[in-house]
Amino acid sequence: MTRQRPSRLRELRRAAPFVLPFLLLFVVVYLVPTGYSVVQSFFAVKRSGLGLGGAETVFAGLGNYLRVFQDGDFIASLGRVGFIGVIQVPVMLGIALFLALLLDSSVPKGRKFFRIAYFVPYGLPGVIAALVWSFLYAPTLSPIAGFFASIGVDASFVTDGALPFSIANILTWAWTGYNTILIFAALQAIPEETMEAAALDGCSGWKAALLIKVPLVRPALLLTLVFSIIGTSQLYNEPVTMKSVAPNLPSTYTPIMAAVRSLSANDFNYAAAQSVVLGALICVLSVLVFRASARSVTR
Amino acid sequence: MLNRNARLTAAAVVATGLALTGCSSTTGASTGGPVTITFWGWASGYDKSVALWNESHPGIQVKYEAIANGGAGGYDKMFTAAKAGTAPCLAQIGYETFASFLAAGLLQDVSEHTKARRAEFPDWVWGNVGIDGKIFGVPVDTAPMGLFYRSDLFKNAKIEVPKTWEEFGKAAAAVKAADPKSRIMNLPTDPYLYAGFAWQGDAPWFGVNGDAWTVSVNSAANGKVAGYWQGLFDQDLVTSYPAFDAALYTAWNSGKVWAEVGPVWSASLIRDNAASSAGKWAVAPMPRWDGADTVGNSGGSATAVMKGCAHPKEAAEFALWMSTDDKSVSNLIESAAILPASKSGLASKALDAPESYYGGQAIYQLFRAESAKVNPNWRWGPVMSTTASALGDGLGKVAAKSATFQEALNAAQTGTVSALQAQGFSVSK
Repeated sequence: MTRQRPSRLRELRRAAPFVLPFLLLFVVVYLVPTGYSVVQSFFAVKRSGLGLGGAETVFAGLGNYLRVFQDGDFIASLGRVGFIGVIQVPVMLGIALFLALLLDSSVPKGRKFFRIAYFVPYGLPGVIAALVWSFLYAPTLSPIAGFFASIGVDASFVTDGALPFSIANILTWAWTGYNTILIFAALQAIPEETMEAAALDGCSGWKAALLIKVPLVRPALLLTLVFSIIGTSQLYNEPVTMKSVAPNLPSTYTPIMAAVRSLSANDFNYAAAQSVVLGALICVLSVLVFRASARSVTR
Repeated sequence: MLNRNARLTAAAVVATGLALTGCSSTTGASTGGPVTITFWGWASGYDKSVALWNESHPGIQVKYEAIANGGAGGYDKMFTAAKAGTAPCLAQIGYETFASFLAAGLLQDVSEHTKARRAEFPDWVWGNVGIDGKIFGVPVDTAPMGLFYRSDLFKNAKIEVPKTWEEFGKAAAAVKAADPKSRIMNLPTDPYLYAGFAWQGDAPWFGVNGDAWTVSVNSAANGKVAGYWQGLFDQDLVTSYPAFDAALYTAWNSGKVWAEVGPVWSASLIRDNAASSAGKWAVAPMPRWDGADTVGNSGGSATAVMKGCAHPKEAAEFALWMSTDDKSVSNLIESAAILPASKSGLASKALDAPESYYGGQAIYQLFRAESAKVNPNWRWGPVMSTTASALGDGLGKVAAKSATFQEALNAAQTGTVSALQAQGFSVSK
């Protein structure tokens, strides 16, 4: 330790030009709105009688949160995205992992083509994808339903029971490629020597993929898992777009749709409380996933 | 020197920026210059009416900004802007949402500035833009309902055009008998379209009882209207396409659906989406209930004066002009196919033009006559977006056969009452 360590202050001063722009944006577009929502969620508007005298904003304590937990529609919407997530996320990540392993396998034929082909759906704006799928689902327009009808099978993709699966299908179609690329990138980072050593020990092919590659890309898998959980809980585009072909899809189908409905009803404070609850749930869920996986790694 | 120049330029740029952003409804209070009024709306033709006004009224300049259709985010934008203090002076607000804005305390009482010209509009129309005798905006158009039908198919099948709902039911059966693949009409599952049927059936959803709201979405009168449609649906006499869906338009075109009972703006909806059946459509009065000579209304909007507007008098003056001036009204009829709310607007010759899509029938003459028969006992509630989405969710399930009309009404009733109570309104039982 011959060199003197720069003082903390000087270190900060040097870092400032690099950190400040980010910090400023982070505060302005992330922390301030979040804080504002949290503050709003503790207030409520007070009216009297017909409400024509205008509204007065008063402190409501936990009133909005009590309302959230008694709101059957909102609880149901949480259940719905939970159900869709539990089914869709493992299926999608399973396919993504499989495709990534295929891409990474020693047969490089057409690798470039497939890499791009898998990624194309992600490049399509979510609303457009949902719109195209809506046409494929619409009972009266769908060529698929038309085909089934021609062989005498009454297939509908928009019944109450089929809706979660129809939506999960759009999500899987749109996001599998994205996750494939993330996992593939991690696979590419595995040192060649590791795989060579495994081959020398007689471990190759699918066995090597499952026993060596998969554990090594666990951080990437974890990342895609957390991204997917967040993505599913914020489900909005797909169900809203599908509503035009599936009027039986309620306007509070997902938590965000429920919050938007409160917003449209000029019930800002309640919408804020709904958003805070959703955000907190996602936060807790993400932390739990990270914790659980960290534990299984150290074990 | 260069440095100083650069600084001056920068200062000038900043000043211009401030001037531009400061161009809100609160500027120009007493400077003697022209008064500027901002106006948010979405209907086609509004921009042209504003331009006409600006030409002839140099002292009061209206700055029109086109925003998204109210139901498609326009109202959300207004609510948010009002919360942020950047609301415009004037805003296009549909009658159905007017009470929501009133209850949010976002509108300004302009009774004083409109009082003198009350007689220029029918009474029931004023009821849509105010409460307790106070006026908060100026009506632009109304949307009385009528029966649009395929005259060729009705004639070929020798089915009389129904004049009452009882006859309509018989005609529905006759249509199915004439062509088992065809139905008379599509089930009205859009909540605002359905409201027009409740409106006609003397089945109000809201009322005022002293200082409290009454909610009667699932009243006996509403049950009667709902039961009628449930009956047609249960007998498989109507189709159940989603509202405003391409499949319905195809069915209109191909003759699988023979008629549509809808508001005046259905005229352009049918014309634009069922182009290949041009010349085969005609319009008749809406079928009546038990001899009551009343029709429903589904739509129409007003130019509302928002709170914070520094020039309510001038704003009201422009709004009155837009709804009554012959040039402005003719322009609105031409570009937006509206039915004017004002009496002078209704007298406009633009409404006498024959419509080639409707076989040369002057259909707006019919709606002009029907607009005098709109049931006056209707009032919109203050949380319509909640009421409409709850009802829409329920009606969507009716089409999917997982609920009944009555269940949809019950859900809308409960949803509305709890939303009202949660937001602090008094609700009387």
